[in-house]
Amino acid sequence: MVNVVTLDSQAHRDLRVSRHTSPHVAQVDAVSVVPREFQRLVAHYPIFFTKNVESGRFEPAVLLGFQKKENLFLVEGRWDVAYVPLQFQRQPFSLIPCPSGDQKTADIGIDLSSPQVQATDGERLFHDDGQPSRYLQSITSILSALVSGAGEGYAFTGRLAELNLLEPVKINIEFVDRSQASLEGLYWIAPAVLKALPATQLAELRDREFLEWMYFQMASMSHISGLVARKNSLLSGVTPSRRVDLEPG
Amino acid sequence: MRRIVIVGGGTAGWIVAGVLGSRFPRRGEQGVSITLIESRQQPPIGVGEGTWPTIRSTLKQIGVSETDLLRECDASFKQGSQFSRWVDGSDADLYWHPFTLPVSYIDRNVAPYWLEGPRRQSFATSVCFQPELCANGLAPKQITTPEYAGLANYAYHLDAGKFVPFLQKHCVEKLGIRHVYDEIARVESDEAGFISHLVTRSGNQLAGDLFVDCSGFTSLLIGRHFGVPFRACKDVLFVDKAWAVQVPYADEAAPIASATLSTAQSCGWVWDIGLSSRRGVGYVYSSSHVSDEKALDELRSYLSARGDRSAAAELSFRNIGINSGYRQEYWTRNCVAVGLSAGFLEPLEASAIVMIELSAKSIANLLPGSREVMHHAARIFNETFRYRWERIVDFLKLHYVLSRRTDSPFWVDNRRSESIPDSLRAGLEYWRSHSPWHDDFALREEVFSAASYQYVLYGMGFTPENANWLLSDTERNLALESMNETARQAKALVGVLPTNRDLLARVRRYGLQKI
Repeated sequence: MVNVVTLDSQAHRDLRVSRHTSPHVAQVDAVSVVPREFQRLVAHYPIFFTKNVESGRFEPAVLLGFQKKENLFLVEGRWDVAYVPLQFQRQPFSLIPCPSGDQKTADIGIDLSSPQVQATDGERLFHDDGQPSRYLQSITSILSALVSGAGEGYAFTGRLAELNLLEPVKINIEFVDRSQASLEGLYWIAPAVLKALPATQLAELRDREFLEWMYFQMASMSHISGLVARKNSLLSGVTPSRRVDLEPG
Repeated sequence: MRRIVIVGGGTAGWIVAGVLGSRFPRRGEQGVSITLIESRQQPPIGVGEGTWPTIRSTLKQIGVSETDLLRECDASFKQGSQFSRWVDGSDADLYWHPFTLPVSYIDRNVAPYWLEGPRRQSFATSVCFQPELCANGLAPKQITTPEYAGLANYAYHLDAGKFVPFLQKHCVEKLGIRHVYDEIARVESDEAGFISHLVTRSGNQLAGDLFVDCSGFTSLLIGRHFGVPFRACKDVLFVDKAWAVQVPYADEAAPIASATLSTAQSCGWVWDIGLSSRRGVGYVYSSSHVSDEKALDELRSYLSARGDRSAAAELSFRNIGINSGYRQEYWTRNCVAVGLSAGFLEPLEASAIVMIELSAKSIANLLPGSREVMHHAARIFNETFRYRWERIVDFLKLHYVLSRRTDSPFWVDNRRSESIPDSLRAGLEYWRSHSPWHDDFALREEVFSAASYQYVLYGMGFTPENANWLLSDTERNLALESMNETARQAKALVGVLPTNRDLLARVRRYGLQKI
């Protein structure tokens, strides 16, 4: 059971939290991401667009596996890549919107049921004087990056949809053991529409940083084969060697 | 055929303008010019608020967005009709005519195997998952479903008063339709009797190669100018008047029905249509069988029985005349009538707008290259649409013929054989030992296909003598499997679909995606 409480410098003064995302939250086949992490995601993950089930709006997401709850980037419970999406990095913290609905003043919540929350091991959240630790400060900036990133993401995908720059893509894969997967509900940048885009619109996309993000998305498609390779090595019983991917920049 | 003039700016005029305008996008010297002229003094009538699923492809073709339609016309999703008290008038008397076709409809006729028994569920529920969705007030799609796509087949309930300006704006701004406000003073013809131009009250001349008469009941061109006779259907379809009223929802969370609710009364029936903003309710009745006052009382008691008691007293009721019938022909010389000028039938199966769509599409498909061959297009159009009007009359009458109500002369008279068209009588004879199927009907696009006949016949308890020697074990197994599949589909969809109201609120807030 999830047990989210508002973080409190008194009550949680001595609490420690492990930086390692626990597998139970990471066992998903896709996770939503924000545009400002594209540059780092593009080194490892295929970035797509999916529809939010509540609003139908497009949002960027990275694909982690081919079936429900399959995360091929987790190897023996540990992340096998140098960059972990912010949605996992923020765990076990979240923002609790204030009753007024003003997100700027939202409280930080912590899920006390998370295995990451420990008494002895891990990072401290507060110094003895009650000031937030560097770790908690980094969590705060991740949470605010996710909030502002969601807004930027919707502005981005909303404009792409208006310009008909998104198209559905269906991916059919056959793995080494002849089993098949068919991925639906994924969208990507329509290359033909982009090629034919008038210069004024192209300039607008460039000025809003959207063009950069679009190229990251397109470049990230090369990781589909990498994801298939991860699945194939699992199926054929070969434990993939711990790969250290170089980060860009 | 480069200059098309549409006379009248109601639902018919703007649908025709939209369909032709999107089909023939080239304007001016290179293409087709389309002008719509309407008089400011003739407010559009705004026929019915119910549509058929064809409206989705029509609107998509015209190029409007479904999100805009839902938001600007207070539209809601309609998945068919629910008929109450039509068979024996009892509380339990209810059946569905859903838009989704019976299971396996393309491949095989499941009906004979449902008829065999044991008939654990009604016909519609056995062969179609949609009644279950309607009964639960669910929408036909999810917020993630693209515009104009659905998990179940659907059309709309819409506010006709908002639909007309909605179409007009798109036609003028996006499709380059010329829009003129003026009145027609005179119709000028050439020696062959073709209309050469219209002279307007302000003294302008409007020349054209094809004139589309969408002038409503006035029938300015087809009726007044050409004098094409009107064939009244009062001898078959008795209802000739209606009380109509707009009813607010009790509160902001009140369910929005995703089907037209049709409830039989002593001398007609009540329609109840849920828009996103309000309900449209009305009682269509036969003035030869009941007085206006008594009819109004019946409508009031319908409303109060549904909990609209407090409102029923202060609502404003409007009385409307209905003159059921259609022209003997629709296309004469270079004039073609669409909408009320061509004909009107009582709104029992919401056939008005679908006939406009079919007419517009037919004109676009048949549009001849020169006036010399126009008579050929006219002949095809007239044959097709006379057939369609006759079939609609048959299908509407079917509802009355199958009723077993005896509570008023209205229902008894409706079953008198002299009021039943020969074609319907022949069909009923035939379906006594044969289940309606594709080949029973002549056209590629029937307004009411065999599926509709099955839903109404078996929904109303028409019991044929099943021709058992025509059945096969193989087909039976497939049919039974299909019916099991229907039950599984219903269960799965009930689990994932939002309510009609919930989805409409989400569409208002977020919009639907085009893909």
